[in-house]
Amino acid sequence: MNIVENFDLYAPRLVDKEEYFSAGHRACQGCGEALAIRMMCKALGSDTVIVNATGCMEVVSSFYPTTAWNLPWIHVAFPNAASVGAGVEAGLKVLRRKGKIADRDVKTVCIGGGGGTFDIGLQALSGAMERGHDMLYACFDNEAYMNTGIQRSGATPFGASTTTNPAGRASSGKGEWKKNITEIIAAHGVQYAATACHSYPLDFMNKVKKAREVKGPTFIHCLAVCPTGWRIPSEACIKMGRLASETGIFPLYEVENGKYRMTIKPEKLRPVGDYLKAQGRFRHLTPEDIERIQEKVYQEYNKLQDKVNNLHAWSELK
Amino acid sequence: MSEKQLMRGSQVIAEAAIRAGCRFYAGYPITPQNEMTEYMANAMAELSDGTFIQAESEIAAINMVLGASTAGVRSMTSSSSPGLSLKQEGISFLAASELPAVIVNTMRGGPGLGNIAPSQGDYFQATRGGGHGDYRSIVLAPASGQEQADLTRKAFEYADKYRTPVLILVDGMMGQMMEPVIFPDPIDALDLPPKPWILDGAKGRPSRIIKSLILNTREMEDHNWKLARKYENIAREITTAESYLTEDANMVVIAYGTAARIAKGAIKRVREMGLKVGLFRPITLYPFPSKELLEMSRVVKHFLVFEMNTGQMIEDVRLSLEGRSTIHFYGRPGGIISTPDEISKEISSIYYRQHLEEE
Repeated sequence: MNIVENFDLYAPRLVDKEEYFSAGHRACQGCGEALAIRMMCKALGSDTVIVNATGCMEVVSSFYPTTAWNLPWIHVAFPNAASVGAGVEAGLKVLRRKGKIADRDVKTVCIGGGGGTFDIGLQALSGAMERGHDMLYACFDNEAYMNTGIQRSGATPFGASTTTNPAGRASSGKGEWKKNITEIIAAHGVQYAATACHSYPLDFMNKVKKAREVKGPTFIHCLAVCPTGWRIPSEACIKMGRLASETGIFPLYEVENGKYRMTIKPEKLRPVGDYLKAQGRFRHLTPEDIERIQEKVYQEYNKLQDKVNNLHAWSELK
Repeated sequence: MSEKQLMRGSQVIAEAAIRAGCRFYAGYPITPQNEMTEYMANAMAELSDGTFIQAESEIAAINMVLGASTAGVRSMTSSSSPGLSLKQEGISFLAASELPAVIVNTMRGGPGLGNIAPSQGDYFQATRGGGHGDYRSIVLAPASGQEQADLTRKAFEYADKYRTPVLILVDGMMGQMMEPVIFPDPIDALDLPPKPWILDGAKGRPSRIIKSLILNTREMEDHNWKLARKYENIAREITTAESYLTEDANMVVIAYGTAARIAKGAIKRVREMGLKVGLFRPITLYPFPSKELLEMSRVVKHFLVFEMNTGQMIEDVRLSLEGRSTIHFYGRPGGIISTPDEISKEISSIYYRQHLEEE
C-alpha cells in the first residue's frame, strides 16, 4: 500500500492534522519558510506562544485584518524576539506558580529570520540562552534580508550576490563566510541545538518535538529555501533544501547534551557545484570560486564529523 | 553642475552625499529606504576611497558613523522610523562629543513597527533631540528631488561647520518619487579643510581625546551651555523657510516636506477660486523659522497647520506665534497621503467659516 495514497490513514499518526499556520498567507510561491513554520507548528501543538521577530513571516502572515496564525502570537521588533520570549516565559511561570493560570506546559517559541537571529537579534538570543529560559528559539534562515529586498546578512553564504553585496565589476558577491550560528548557541551549553530543513519534514518535526520536551533553552537552525532571493524556480524549493544537505554545505545534525549526531547523513557528498550552479545568486562564480567554497565545505564537514565521532555526551564525562 | 537626471529620491540623497565628499556610509535594511543603502553599496564600490558597510543593526551603523567621523571622514547613515529610534543613543553621543554626521530618516507610519507608508510622525523625535540629554540636531526637511540634492550638500557642510549631527527628514513619498534633478559638482574629499580634532595617531604631538563623559558637574554645565550657544548660532545662521503666495494672503498653510507639496497643490486650486491663501514651508525644522512666522502674523490672522501626524509641528507654530493668530490644524497620521483636493476643501471650509472672503 502506498503511504501517500492513504495519507488520511497514516498521516494523523505521524503529524497533527490541525492547521496552526493556515493557507491564504501572502508568502511567495514556493516559500520554504512558510512550509517550515507550518510543520513546526504541527509539531508544537496548540499549547504554544509564538514570539515573532519582524521579518518575512510577520509581513506575509498578519496583513490586517487577516491572519494565518491559529496559535497565540505576538509580533515584535527586529532585535527583540528572544527578549520578549524571555518575558513571556517568565510571566507565564509566575502566573502558574501563583495559581492564576492552569498548570499546563505552555511552550514559548521565538522565531526569527537569518538577519533577526544572526545579526541584530544575536545579543538578545545569547542573553536568553545564557539565562536558561524554557524556550525554543527557531531560526528560519533564508540567507539574506529577503523581506526588505535581499540585502546581505551574517547568514548570507560566501559568494552569494545580494543588493548590498552585488556581484559585478568591483565585487564577486559576499566576500565573507556564513556565521555558524548553531555552534555559537551550542557553545552556550544548551541541552538541545540542531540544524534542520523543511525538505526533510519528519527529521525537522522530530527535532521540534525533542526541543519542546526540554525544560530549558533550545535552538533549531532551519534552512529555509527562498526561491525569490536565491533566484531559483519556485518548484525547486524542496530539491534545493535536499541539495544543501547532500552536498554538505548545510549538514543536518543535532547536539544533545553535548553529543553530536548526524540525523541525515549522505553516504557520499555531492559536489557543492551541484547546489551553487542551480541558483541565480551564485551565477557569477568562477570555477576557482566554486573550488574555494568546495574546500571550505569539506573542511567544515570534516570538522563536524570529527565532533560527531569524538565528542561525548556530558553525562559520560567525569 | 550635472546634467538633468530623473532619479528616485532615496538615490538622489545617496548620490548627493557622495558628491558632497561622503566617503563612509553604514546602513541596515529597513523599508522604505533600502534604495539608498543599495545605491551606496554600488557607488562606494566604484570609488577608490569609499567605504560601504552593511551593519548588523541600526545601533551598529550609527556607531560606525561615529567612529568614521572621529577619524575625520564625512560619514552618513540612513534608516526609517523604528531604525531611528535605535540610533538615538549614537546621535546623543555624536551631539555630546561634537562630531559631525549626517543621518537620513525616511519616516514611516508608527508608533511601533507601524507600516511603511509616508508619515511625519517623527517630528518630535527629530527636533527635540531624540536621544537623552540636553541637545538638538539640525533638521532639514526637503520637499522635492532637487531640494533633496541641495540640502544633502548643505547637511554635510553644516555637520562639519558646527560639529553636530544633522538629520535629513523625508518620508517614503519623497524617497520613492522620481523627479528631475541637477546635482552640484562633486567635491574631492581630499580638498575638504583638515579637521584639527580627529583621532589619527599621536606621533610627535599630544594625544587628542573625544568623549562625552564629564563627571564634574561644573564642567558638564559649561559643556551644556557651550552646546546651547552653538544651537543659538545655528538658529541665527541657517534658519530657512519658503513663503509661497503669502504677500496678499489672509490665511497661510504651514506644512513641510511631502505635506507641503500636497498643500501647494491645494493652494493653487483655492487661488483659482479667488481665496487669498499662501504657504509657509519650514525648510529647517530645527532651527524652526519662528521669527519669519511671527513677522507674518502681523498681517495673517489665520494659520492652518497641515501635518501627516496627529499634531507635532503645531507646537512649534504655537510657540512661535505666541497667541497672536488663530491656529487651525489638519492632520492625517498612519501613512495616509492626503490629496490636494482634500486639503483645498479643508482650507476653503476654514476660510468661509472665518469670513475671510470679506476681508
